[in-house]
Amino acid sequence: MYPIGRGGRAARTPEEKQAKKKKLKAKVGLAQHPQVVEIEVPENELPVWDLDAKLKIVGKGVPRIEGPEKVTGQAKYTLDYTPADLPGLLYARTLRSPFAHARVERIDASRAAALPGVKAVVLIAKGSGFDASSALLDVVADGPVLEPQDREVIAEGEEVAVVAAESDAIAEDALELIEVKYQRLPHVVDYEEARKPDAPRVHKEASSNVVPGDPQKTGDIEKGFQQADVIIERTLRVPVLLHNSAEPHAAVAQWEGKKLTVWASTQGVNGFRDDLVKTFKLDKADVRVITQHMGGGFGSKFGMQNYGALAALMAQRAGAPVKLAYDRHEENQAAGNRPNATMWIKLGAKQDGTLTALHCKAYGTAGVGRDASVTGMMATVYKCPNLRLEDSDVYTNAGAAQPMRAPGYPQGSFAIESAMDELALELKMDPLELRRKNFVDLPLLALEEMYQVGAEKIGWSRRPGLGPKTDSPIKRGIGMGTAVWGNGAGPPASSRVTIAPDGSVESAMAVQDLGVGTRTIVAMVTAEELGVPLEAVKVNIGDTSLELIGPDSGGSVTALSIAPAIRLAAANARQLLFQKLAPALGAKPEDLVCDDGRISVRGRPGQALTWKEATAKLGAPISGRGERLPNVAPYGDLPLWGAQFAEVEVDTETGLVRVIKVVAVHEAGRVINRTTFESQVNGGVMMGLGYALLERRTMDKSEGRVINPNLEDYKMLGPDELPEIETVIVEPITPMDNVGGKGIGEPCTVPTAAAVANAVAHALGIRVYELPLTPDRILDALAAKKA
Amino acid sequence: MLKTKKGKQKLSRRKFLKTAGMAGGAVAVGMLVKPARRAQASTTQRPPLGPGDVEVRLNVNGKDHVLKLEPRVTLVEALRERLNLTGTKRTCDHGECGACTVLMDGRAVCSCMTLAVNAQGKKIITIEGLAQGKLLGRLQKAFVEHDALQCGFCTPGMIMSLKALLDQHPRATSAQIRAAIAGNYCRCGALPNILKAANAVARA
Repeated sequence: MYPIGRGGRAARTPEEKQAKKKKLKAKVGLAQHPQVVEIEVPENELPVWDLDAKLKIVGKGVPRIEGPEKVTGQAKYTLDYTPADLPGLLYARTLRSPFAHARVERIDASRAAALPGVKAVVLIAKGSGFDASSALLDVVADGPVLEPQDREVIAEGEEVAVVAAESDAIAEDALELIEVKYQRLPHVVDYEEARKPDAPRVHKEASSNVVPGDPQKTGDIEKGFQQADVIIERTLRVPVLLHNSAEPHAAVAQWEGKKLTVWASTQGVNGFRDDLVKTFKLDKADVRVITQHMGGGFGSKFGMQNYGALAALMAQRAGAPVKLAYDRHEENQAAGNRPNATMWIKLGAKQDGTLTALHCKAYGTAGVGRDASVTGMMATVYKCPNLRLEDSDVYTNAGAAQPMRAPGYPQGSFAIESAMDELALELKMDPLELRRKNFVDLPLLALEEMYQVGAEKIGWSRRPGLGPKTDSPIKRGIGMGTAVWGNGAGPPASSRVTIAPDGSVESAMAVQDLGVGTRTIVAMVTAEELGVPLEAVKVNIGDTSLELIGPDSGGSVTALSIAPAIRLAAANARQLLFQKLAPALGAKPEDLVCDDGRISVRGRPGQALTWKEATAKLGAPISGRGERLPNVAPYGDLPLWGAQFAEVEVDTETGLVRVIKVVAVHEAGRVINRTTFESQVNGGVMMGLGYALLERRTMDKSEGRVINPNLEDYKMLGPDELPEIETVIVEPITPMDNVGGKGIGEPCTVPTAAAVANAVAHALGIRVYELPLTPDRILDALAAKKA
Repeated sequence: MLKTKKGKQKLSRRKFLKTAGMAGGAVAVGMLVKPARRAQASTTQRPPLGPGDVEVRLNVNGKDHVLKLEPRVTLVEALRERLNLTGTKRTCDHGECGACTVLMDGRAVCSCMTLAVNAQGKKIITIEGLAQGKLLGRLQKAFVEHDALQCGFCTPGMIMSLKALLDQHPRATSAQIRAAIAGNYCRCGALPNILKAANAVARA
């Protein structure tokens, strides 16, 4: 379901492989070292927006077009649908288990069902755990009284019953009237405890709480360590993080006969719709999912999940539209998290810094769910001929993990970047120099340029003068980490650009804008390709009924999956327009150009038609369609790179770490909107800083409950902790597709915590091997060093 | 003992953790949590309001509204679900995130921590009250220009907190600006640009 590793899709299907091809030249790479490459593309593909492209709108910094809606409170999020929009709207609330593991022996919701204003009550009657996407309709019951024979809750916050009522308050009252008889069972929420053979079993069907993954092996790890002159071995730990998107999970569902409409706070309207179709056994044409604006997801909102299923179910039972939204506690118990990890890493290198072997064994908990893997990025970030990477999941009786911005990568980055800096110390090498020695061999690699500009902007040359030997109790340090992420952009993406006789232009696709600037990118690419001003384009997205499939927004794939499709659609629309106009201008369609909305014959700019004049000649609207074509091999498989540098100040008397500045150098090939690109980097860096210094989900082991499921005790970065963040964009254009760009959403959060940890270690001369770098840990480490 | 904004008596934290769930639900340890239908004692000697709906008069963005709602209904609920002014967001319901910030007689308050009945007789301004038709206010314009928003969910609360500050201190310092929004959380990372936008307005 999660689109990571879509594989930078090259041609796969028989149609794609057999399509007529043509050869194109493109000038790619960095402007200072351009390379001319010849690529083979389908016949209808457009020339790449390469280094020679003269672009007027794409590449600039453009304020997001829905800005005015958002700053006036007019933008409608899922939570904002009220009875004024949907008469008879009911509010659903969920009764959740307070226990980490219990048998549900009896549920009596009769008093709740009888409460005036309550319109529907549903009980979860069967199963160990609750996953609405598998057989929802088989496990729910109307009750209102039930003595389930086989119902176990396996995490705090798991759904037990749902009510729908005329107001949120009545729904809450109804929940308090539901009497549940639980028989508590042994639980385990600490992943170290859960690994032990005598730990309470989380999943009855599993033979163990530990689920090892398949090790990733390259070369010969034994030989590799034998070849090493220096070997370091360390164990590092990172905690569970919570997404804490501003808008909680929410869905509003309305049935009309067998037609279902759901307004959803989701990262993927198409994936959500597909899940509804499967779960409720509906026809695809009868299901519509709409997301015009949503308040953040960061990976936690893919697919229908339980909230989407229960909203639709309650609407069905109540015969009225239903709004179901999690409150902040539910959000932080049951709506997803980033797994923790204990990572043992062993790194070997020759005296000159060349890596010879890397062995990492890691385990972590994804709660009752799966995929706590973290070592994958270690195979990509540096060159190492002999690798052994092993991940294990450990089940615990806690909320299931959901993908969180670059799943696994920030965890792995903390381990390998810390290890690289420790190795550099042993080898008496500059940490940047050590990394340079181990760059991967891949085309269009611009890491050297990124290191150089980042080092210059942070003042890397000051590094020898900083550190623990300075007089003041406030020590300063500088550290860095390399950002890497896999490219997943590619088909399918379908776009339609429509030009109407009144001059209006609409660019449509069933893709959603999470708040990353997708709408603006759609408008910019359309306007650029058509040759009209940005203001001329209206964007129509976020609605599956458009039937123009767009990607679910995960894996940093959206912008570069859709932009090439939009170019094709705009080009086709322009072609249709030119075909209509050519006779009137006494020319052939291929001789016409459109520039800033004026259409003329190439070479005769004086005789131009204005946009209004031109489109008035259309009797009816015309539409051009564009389908995203496969990525050009091997460019589609190349990772996304970056480098982040941090300068910190550590007060050795209080243990407080203050980040002074972060320089975030990132590539995205052709950047489409500079403004929203930088905002994405700000967001990724801030999340990474929160990881380094503040964030940590904490569980009470004996009660099996989340202690900080709120916004006051789960600490996130605020104005007092915000450092200066400088974003530097390096643009090696790639001929992967006709736009020449890459994604940014996730790479920008991968190395931040690692860079801060390296800076702190540099400042203090000792290292803390666990995040967050809280004052108590800093002081303990300093005390141990003294002793 | 904790009293919630709804006027209910809650259990002590230790007992609470051991028994009832967060959203209610009685368990067979013998504890049945009954909502106490008593309004909390007020410092003025007025008779308690409720139970059941009472008449509430709210002045919002210059207009008077008369609503019938229970005394326990918060201002944010009244604004969003009854007056359909959904610009003010409800994200934590605990006064921790600032997304529900409105102005009440010029002061920034969390509308989730204010009972609608206690907002009577006050001038309430929400995000919808800032623009004049299509003409954006100065803060709103600056937010758009400096890309001081991403998903936009925290944005109304941010703008209201800053408006409260800048109305009182048009030349607010950088430190005052940071303090004003310290209670408004933003997960997308618009904070650097929010500070840029606010400082731009303060220095203009």
